[in-house]
Amino acid sequence: MKRRSLLASAAAAPLLALGKPALAAEKVLTVGAAVFPDSLRAGTGSFASLSLMTQTNDPLILRDNTSGLHPGLATKWEQIDPLTMRFHLRQGVKFSDGTDFTADDVVFTINFALDPQNAYAMVARINQIESATAVDKYTVDIKTKAVFPTLLRGLSDIIIEPKAYVEKVGANGFTAKPMGTGPFIFQKWVPGDHYTLTANKNYWGGAPKVDKIIIRTIPDGSTRVAALVAGEAHIIEEVPIDLIDQVNASDAKIDEIGTTAGLVLTFDPTIKPFDNARIREAFDLAIDKELILKQILKGHGELLQGQVLTKGVLGFDPGLKARPFDPEKARQMLKEAGYDFSTPVPITTQNGKYVSDTDICQAIAGMLNKIGVKATVNIVEGGVFQQMNNALKFGPMYMVGWYSLGDADFATVWYTRAGRRTNWNSPEYDKMFVAARSTNDEKERVKLYHEMAALAYRENPSIFLFGLPSIYAVDKKVKGFGAAADKVLRLSQVELGK
Amino acid sequence: MILGYILRRLAFLPLTLLLVAFATFIVLRLTGNPVDIFLDINRTPEQVAALTKRLHLDEPIPIQFLIFLGDLLRGDFGESLQFSNSASAVVWGRVGATLQLAGTALGLAVLLGVLGGIVCAVWRDRAADAVISSIAVAGQSMPSFWLGMLLIEFFALQMRWLPTSGYGEPRHLVLPAVTLATILLPNFVLITRTSILELMSEQFVVTGRSKGLSRRRVLFTHVLPNAVNPVLSFLGVQVGTLMAGSIITETIYAWPGVGRLLISSIFNRDVPVVEAAVFFIATAIALANLTVDVLQMLIDPRIRRA
Repeated sequence: MKRRSLLASAAAAPLLALGKPALAAEKVLTVGAAVFPDSLRAGTGSFASLSLMTQTNDPLILRDNTSGLHPGLATKWEQIDPLTMRFHLRQGVKFSDGTDFTADDVVFTINFALDPQNAYAMVARINQIESATAVDKYTVDIKTKAVFPTLLRGLSDIIIEPKAYVEKVGANGFTAKPMGTGPFIFQKWVPGDHYTLTANKNYWGGAPKVDKIIIRTIPDGSTRVAALVAGEAHIIEEVPIDLIDQVNASDAKIDEIGTTAGLVLTFDPTIKPFDNARIREAFDLAIDKELILKQILKGHGELLQGQVLTKGVLGFDPGLKARPFDPEKARQMLKEAGYDFSTPVPITTQNGKYVSDTDICQAIAGMLNKIGVKATVNIVEGGVFQQMNNALKFGPMYMVGWYSLGDADFATVWYTRAGRRTNWNSPEYDKMFVAARSTNDEKERVKLYHEMAALAYRENPSIFLFGLPSIYAVDKKVKGFGAAADKVLRLSQVELGK
Repeated sequence: MILGYILRRLAFLPLTLLLVAFATFIVLRLTGNPVDIFLDINRTPEQVAALTKRLHLDEPIPIQFLIFLGDLLRGDFGESLQFSNSASAVVWGRVGATLQLAGTALGLAVLLGVLGGIVCAVWRDRAADAVISSIAVAGQSMPSFWLGMLLIEFFALQMRWLPTSGYGEPRHLVLPAVTLATILLPNFVLITRTSILELMSEQFVVTGRSKGLSRRRVLFTHVLPNAVNPVLSFLGVQVGTLMAGSIITETIYAWPGVGRLLISSIFNRDVPVVEAAVFFIATAIALANLTVDVLQMLIDPRIRRA
């Protein structure tokens, strides 16, 4: 008996082995996400949401990991008059339900985004659009209300939705089960847990190299790293800086890129004595940014060079340099200004919003104490911060990260009256900002941004601190993944080796 | 008689829930205009107007509260601001995970806690008592996020027996349940120990012993049944602690429960979801306490008569 069963299993073994490869070959890529949106609703303002939506749906213009722009569902585009851009669409592309992608879908999506009823937050990126019209099946004209140099960049945040499908299932139906032209196809969404997608073998950009992706939310940084080390996740987002060594000691490596977020300490010049630009400058001189970068950020990220923009962004001025650390001079300047800092100066910040945010503020407060300023740290919850923001009542100083997303327009707007983020008011700055926004001439725009940066450097509406890093950890089996400046997961060309 | 009691208690339930509703409502309004917090700086005046109207914030506060109560009676908390789905559906979607975690943790804490307490009481001031009591005190003073990290480090990374985090299979439940149970377990050990020791010096125990009953017989037939009630009433109180503890545990282990949902909704001031989640938790605690009280009555005739 025993012998026979052994023989039987020996005979069955090759059969099993034959049956197995098909199963074993299924390549499942698992990603541990730090921030997980609560639904698959298109157009919510967050990049965590865009990161999930772009798995199933493509924008007209694709953005890469370093903020470069490339043809997406539009293959080329031309300016036909200063207010109109003509887009030629990619032909032969199908949505994953088999319907053709055409100009109607583009017009539908843009109209949907522009309709205030739909509360499409990302509309802020394209709000200068007047209308979108289909010229023929594969051509769309987009008219803008004014000259709109950031139209293409704005469109890279707007995913194209399938008109017929959304009209059939409704906006909520689309949220429950998104469908598009993207590299992956919706399979299962469990709120607060995971999102599973299968590969779209017919993807116009080339079939994905894995069969399935699972994007899991792991909100806690240490657990995320543990999941990576245990092999439960192949890629994780937002590695806490103090756990980088643990990742390096495992079978994974760190993949890091600078984001376009500039962390700045902004003053309220309506509060005395911060109306005095010399005092703001003295504060800047008193902060040893190199030391904070080295000790708290462990060298991750970059030192902002006397401007809000990070290196490589359109409008970045390579001629400007960060003010050197000079506490002696700072003390001297405060003395000359004749102001007595016996009243405390609170620095408002959120906790955990940016890498090491409270630690950075504590260090800064300590450095300011050394020049005789009673600086304290005022940590507020996100909702309260948002409210202070809307009321523009942050107290004398607050720390915030401002993203430029590759174009100076998006970050410099916060220093204008219209941006409503600071009480600093410079009509000259505002004028240059509007001028830079009103021309499509890139050279002219860059020149204006350099002048604006020089003005801000003289006036110090903010102390410019650091360009924040985006730090991923990636299993060594994974190939073709890149850390993204905008924190959007680009997985279509990621391979999973042995 | 018991039925009457249950009905009377149930009649008070709406009052409890009304107070909860009132407190939630007031706190959410006191911490700022939800519209200001939910919509970011890029909002348009149209969006502000639409959301203000949707949340009835254009009405005077008392009217707002009445509208809120009216919706509540119909079980309608409104549509979630961030999920484009009804708030109660969003919360219901997460209830299962929380009940699974909290239920397992509570079961574990009661079972091990009571056993530990019995051992401590029986071998009072001996080695077993010293060891278990000190572990209980140590466990009580250990922050659960730290314990969670230790458990992940040992069981998931060193031994590779269990997954670090996640949801779906029974093995995912082990570490979160143990972490959450550890918050409660020491208290159950100490409560059981104390109440048994107190009972041991009661007259009926002395009588039993002097009648010639064995120590074991006295313990199992006279002392333990009487010790059930203090443990039960403590259990009722602990449901709240359990809910609070589950928020941290769910975050550490990426467990998709109500606790984490509540936190993210509070940060985003997703008013309908916060209200629905708080309401769910309050109802759960109230019902748990009611169940405990009823059980106590069933067990102890003295309470029934009182």
